[in-house]
Amino acid sequence: MSMPEHPLDPAGAAPAPGNAPPALDVRDLEVSFHRRGRALRVLKGVTMTIGQGEAYGLVGESGCGKTTLAMAAMRYLATNGTIDAGSVAVEGQDVSTLSEEALRKWRGGKISMVYQDPATALSPAMRIGDQLAEVFHYHEGMGKTEALERARESLRRVAIPDPDATLKRYPFELSGGQQQRVVIAMALAVDPQLLILDEPTTGLDATVEAEILDLIEELRGRINAAILLITHNLGLVARLCERVGVLYAGRLVEEGPARDVFTDPRHPYTMGLLRCVPRFGMNKTDAALQTIPGTLPALGEPLEGCVYSARCPMAKPVCTQHEPDFFAWPSDLGARAAAEAASKPPDPAAFSPHHANPVGESDRYARCYFSPEVPEMPHMTPVLATSLEARGAEGGNVLEIDTVRRTFKDGKKKLTAVADVSLDLRKGETFGLVGESGSGKTTLAKCVTGLLAPDAGTITFEAGELRPTAARRSQDALRAIQMVFQNPDSTLNPAWSTRSILTRAVRKLGGGKAGSVRAKVDKLSADVRVEPRFLMQRPTELSGGQKQRVAIARAFAGDPTLVICDEPASALDVSVQASILNLLVELQTNEKVSYVFISHDLAVVRYISDRIGVMYLAELIEVGGAEEVFNPPHHPYTEALLSSIPKLDFDSPRRRIALHGTMPSLSDPPSGCRFHTRCHRLLGDICKEQEPPFQESTTGHRYKCHIPPDELLAAQVADRPGPHAEAVAQATDAPGTDSADPQPAAS
Amino acid sequence: MLRLIGRRLLLMVPTLILASMLIFALAEVLPGDVARSILGPYATQEQVDLLNQRLGADRPVYERYVDWAGGFVTGDWGDSLLFDEAVLPLVMRSLGNSLLLAGFALVLIVPTSIAVGVFAGLRRDSLLDRGITVSTLSMTVIPEFVSGVVLLYVFAVWLKWLPVTALPPSGSPFVSRFYYLILPAIPLMLLELGYIARMARVGTVQVLAMPYIRTAVLKGLPRRRVIFGHMLRNAMVPTVTVIGTQIGWLIGGLVVVEVLFAYPGIGNIMVQAAKNKDLPLLEASVLMVAILYMVSNLIADIVVALLNPRIRMGG
Amino acid sequence: MDVRSPDLREPDPEAVETLADGEVGHQEPELEADAAAAAEQRRQRRFLFTALLRSPTFMTGLVIVLFWVFMGLFSTAFTQSPTSIDAMATLQEPSAEHWFGTDDLGRDVLARTMAGARTVLYIAPLATVLALLWGSIVGLVSGFYRGITDEIIMRLVDVLLALPIIITSILILSLLGRGMAIIIITIGALFTPPVSRTVRSAVIGEREREYVMAARLRGERSAFVMAREILPNIKEPIIVEGTIRLGYAVFTAATLSFLGFGLAPPSPDWGLTIATQRVFLQIAPWAVLFPAAALASLVVAVNLITDGLGRVFSK
Repeated sequence: MSMPEHPLDPAGAAPAPGNAPPALDVRDLEVSFHRRGRALRVLKGVTMTIGQGEAYGLVGESGCGKTTLAMAAMRYLATNGTIDAGSVAVEGQDVSTLSEEALRKWRGGKISMVYQDPATALSPAMRIGDQLAEVFHYHEGMGKTEALERARESLRRVAIPDPDATLKRYPFELSGGQQQRVVIAMALAVDPQLLILDEPTTGLDATVEAEILDLIEELRGRINAAILLITHNLGLVARLCERVGVLYAGRLVEEGPARDVFTDPRHPYTMGLLRCVPRFGMNKTDAALQTIPGTLPALGEPLEGCVYSARCPMAKPVCTQHEPDFFAWPSDLGARAAAEAASKPPDPAAFSPHHANPVGESDRYARCYFSPEVPEMPHMTPVLATSLEARGAEGGNVLEIDTVRRTFKDGKKKLTAVADVSLDLRKGETFGLVGESGSGKTTLAKCVTGLLAPDAGTITFEAGELRPTAARRSQDALRAIQMVFQNPDSTLNPAWSTRSILTRAVRKLGGGKAGSVRAKVDKLSADVRVEPRFLMQRPTELSGGQKQRVAIARAFAGDPTLVICDEPASALDVSVQASILNLLVELQTNEKVSYVFISHDLAVVRYISDRIGVMYLAELIEVGGAEEVFNPPHHPYTEALLSSIPKLDFDSPRRRIALHGTMPSLSDPPSGCRFHTRCHRLLGDICKEQEPPFQESTTGHRYKCHIPPDELLAAQVADRPGPHAEAVAQATDAPGTDSADPQPAAS
Repeated sequence: MLRLIGRRLLLMVPTLILASMLIFALAEVLPGDVARSILGPYATQEQVDLLNQRLGADRPVYERYVDWAGGFVTGDWGDSLLFDEAVLPLVMRSLGNSLLLAGFALVLIVPTSIAVGVFAGLRRDSLLDRGITVSTLSMTVIPEFVSGVVLLYVFAVWLKWLPVTALPPSGSPFVSRFYYLILPAIPLMLLELGYIARMARVGTVQVLAMPYIRTAVLKGLPRRRVIFGHMLRNAMVPTVTVIGTQIGWLIGGLVVVEVLFAYPGIGNIMVQAAKNKDLPLLEASVLMVAILYMVSNLIADIVVALLNPRIRMGG
Repeated sequence: MDVRSPDLREPDPEAVETLADGEVGHQEPELEADAAAAAEQRRQRRFLFTALLRSPTFMTGLVIVLFWVFMGLFSTAFTQSPTSIDAMATLQEPSAEHWFGTDDLGRDVLARTMAGARTVLYIAPLATVLALLWGSIVGLVSGFYRGITDEIIMRLVDVLLALPIIITSILILSLLGRGMAIIIITIGALFTPPVSRTVRSAVIGEREREYVMAARLRGERSAFVMAREILPNIKEPIIVEGTIRLGYAVFTAATLSFLGFGLAPPSPDWGLTIATQRVFLQIAPWAVLFPAAALASLVVAVNLITDGLGRVFSK
């Protein structure tokens, strides 16, 4: 593809050395959205450069403007959005000066994009082949047969099994992972210079996510495109990107090489983000998650001084008065010290302007006056969970699930969502339930609460058998088992005030007189730290985190014995997620409650759980202490699942276990071991023919596999790379003891 | 696909049976004494009894229903009390006239309303869009006898561009019928235009908001390709469904227009049968209308399935 | 409102959603939380009201409807008698004495046009209220319990919808006689199925929401969940459906009068007047056109209110 003419940039942008203009050059970009006559600034003076072939990660929580930046690069802002100042250039060509026809060629030709939800990104009523071929037709003027041939080739490039059949399929006939492969194939069809990946794996299951990441990583070696990866997941950036920019409230607050930024952050927000996500292997008894106080500012909310000052634990007066510049680190140190002393903004002339340094050299910037102090940023939450023993949680089982089965009808097909699951829950413990979507974890939870009636099996609660549906359970049984739901936007009735929601719950579940009800509501809201003024408001006026707090208070209205938390924090931004997890841990310590904690986020489950169960295709395939499940010997599926998480560390070598094939259908599960169609440790026909037994250790850890523990341990340890393998082998000689964490946290 | 059609046809059977029961119940059970309600309060009891006997209304209800329904299926629809001829040919002849008018109206309605709706949807929230939406919807709610009477006055009485009657003098060539049907068709068009155009607009707006339209634009397709290749087909799904369900509304409109223009269609027949309590004619024509309506819904479902591969293949 | 160039883009959903939740304030960074919260509440309460006041379509519609309500109630106090016959002055052109002319019986068209609002303004709102009441109950029960209850109810609704409303009401009214109460109940009953469909789909959307599950987990009775948890959250679609039905109730009532199944002469009802006077369209168009315009203005006004309400609710 020929290089476009490179007009001289009037702003005097410094091109990268070697004459090649940067793949993306954003300068002082200001973008606003207009709504009800008001202009809301969503991007504030963003300047960033992506060199040719470079991978740049843009991270930030929802509403910080990441997608807006990508859309500005595509010149596809929403109709109510305007670029107020600044420029976006791709390969030295200012995007705003392109004619309509040139812009069309530009999109999909020079820049292309991969989207968050592949299921909706593909045209539903058009065959895959036609959707791919039209790119070749409109960009390279190919005829139908030639374009289809190229489409087939591009499917091969993204390793789609059976490209010929796929060409003739409709999007709904493909799995999520295959759909995303098609979107990637489409984006790479015409060899773009810049590939924008907008949350490319969000919403995909962990093993599918890993598959897509492998593909992107592998493609990077073969394509010329620079990559702009937009995500809220720091692990993805650590894995794929050389450089990273951190966006907060429309401002780029920190930028630099990914490794440096993640191991030695120099902006309090970056530090906060890194501290509030549980590191892989972290447990609540080791350390509390750090939280970021306050909430994200609303979109376009005018903020004075530093955009982060309202939430920053290090903020000083100067921060709220004068917004800091984008200082180079560490060269601008002196000027800042002077500024602090004088409590006024430092003289801009004293700093190196952003991007004075050519791309590729050590360039680190942070929008903070106090970058040197960031590593010592005070910790905000010193709460530490007590161990199970200290919580006095030794009193036997609170819940016994015995061969529970639940099927759904889908037309003529019978889908078995929960297949003969048995498990025990101990008093006062947190039981983590993990599995990919469709594994049956939520269905199992609903059977326990009585929202769904099991088809077979019994559920025994505190020595009494539970009736199948909530409608037939006694008020006391209802009180004792409560649930916290996933979606903060629908968990509270929007027509009720917060106080009436809690009052009704206390009245129905807690009983008591009018005066005591009011007192109980006040206590509950205090326990979950919902300020009294929010009690008068309706849920629509609360933030996502506050709504989830109210939902938790509601579940605790009748002093429950067991609370089922179904992904209680996964819809929340990471800075809010941490405080919800901490709250749950704290309530457990105080209230002696047991939890079933459902999540797809393994690090979170590992952090909060005492014991963990892993579900695959409606079956419980492994149960045991959190340590045991996360370390060999464990079920091959668990092993694959664990290896698929993008981790925030740069030093330990990774080994990804690729699962082959796609998730089988619930209506027709594989014979023998349900995992045999995808297993990387397949023994042979025995796996296909015989249902495996549970291999059980003395500590109660059991997994459903034909491979005995010692063989499995040897194989899994041998396959585990890195210097820690030996330590693991020693530590796991006696399963169940506190073994050393094989995955050291990054900082 | 064939299985889908077969299943839908099977599903129609119980609905049809229920509908026939309902019609029968409304016509013959609800009024209590059938003959009394036909003859009015001043008839003597002997007259009433005689008519009841003639109608068979003195027999048990279920027996009468089975008789009537069986007769309907075998083509024995009885005789019209009012026109003194067999109901079947009368209804069929009127139905033919009505279908001609309705078909002519639909040919005008469907392309116009889809074009208007898509046009408005593509310019969503502009002044033009608001103008189109509000004015077409306003026309939809104006009763067709109001618009019909005004159109009749303006184009037939005042400007004399179009004939006052809806039927050409006998002996005219068939094609000339359409010229005479223009004026009756316009009120029907106004009646449907707003509703179908609104659905086309909503479909357009919803589909335009879908991520796959963004994909199509951002992969560098020309605008016309995005609209005709990716948008239109998906946007038509709700519209086609609505056209199917609107047939019922159109038939209602047909009744009024046929009365207004004295056009010998099934609506006109039905009104006369109702006014004169001609039960055999009334029941048969109402049931025919119900069948017509279900068939048009079925056709709409088939078109939707053709537009949507998921439904087509699932069937 | 500006006319934007046609574009396939959409307003940014992120921006729209975030802003829809809570207005962005222009407070100091350390906002006075309590004041802001109180202001927010007040704003929410006032928002709907001011948005309606600012909607030109809603206000136009409201003014016209209020005009007709006023006329329906009080017009006889200051116009000539709508029913007094003057055999000497039949079919007179509009003049200083009779602003809108006279009809075939020499009655003052202005007086009849103004008084004609009355009947329809009784029938339409009462029929709408009945339809909303029945439709909400049926829709709630059907959508909440699902299963076999839903299956049976929806099958019946399908059957009722398979018969065009005009035709079913003709069937009923021709056999049960015509009186205000019967007309109201008939229209109310026939509008129940569409209302119940709307309510049912809204209920289905709500019942899977987690707050409903939470209510079940604290042992609330079904009636409580339906009435207190779900109903307040589906108010808006019910209100919008109500205004749509109101427009169609006016439409249906007028059409029934026109077809001769509504009120009997000498009622000044618009539909009836148009039906009786249309034979004189060529010589005395005023006797038809004025009531036609009046009826059109009322239905369009109701439609404008619907449009305004729907627009405000969807914001």
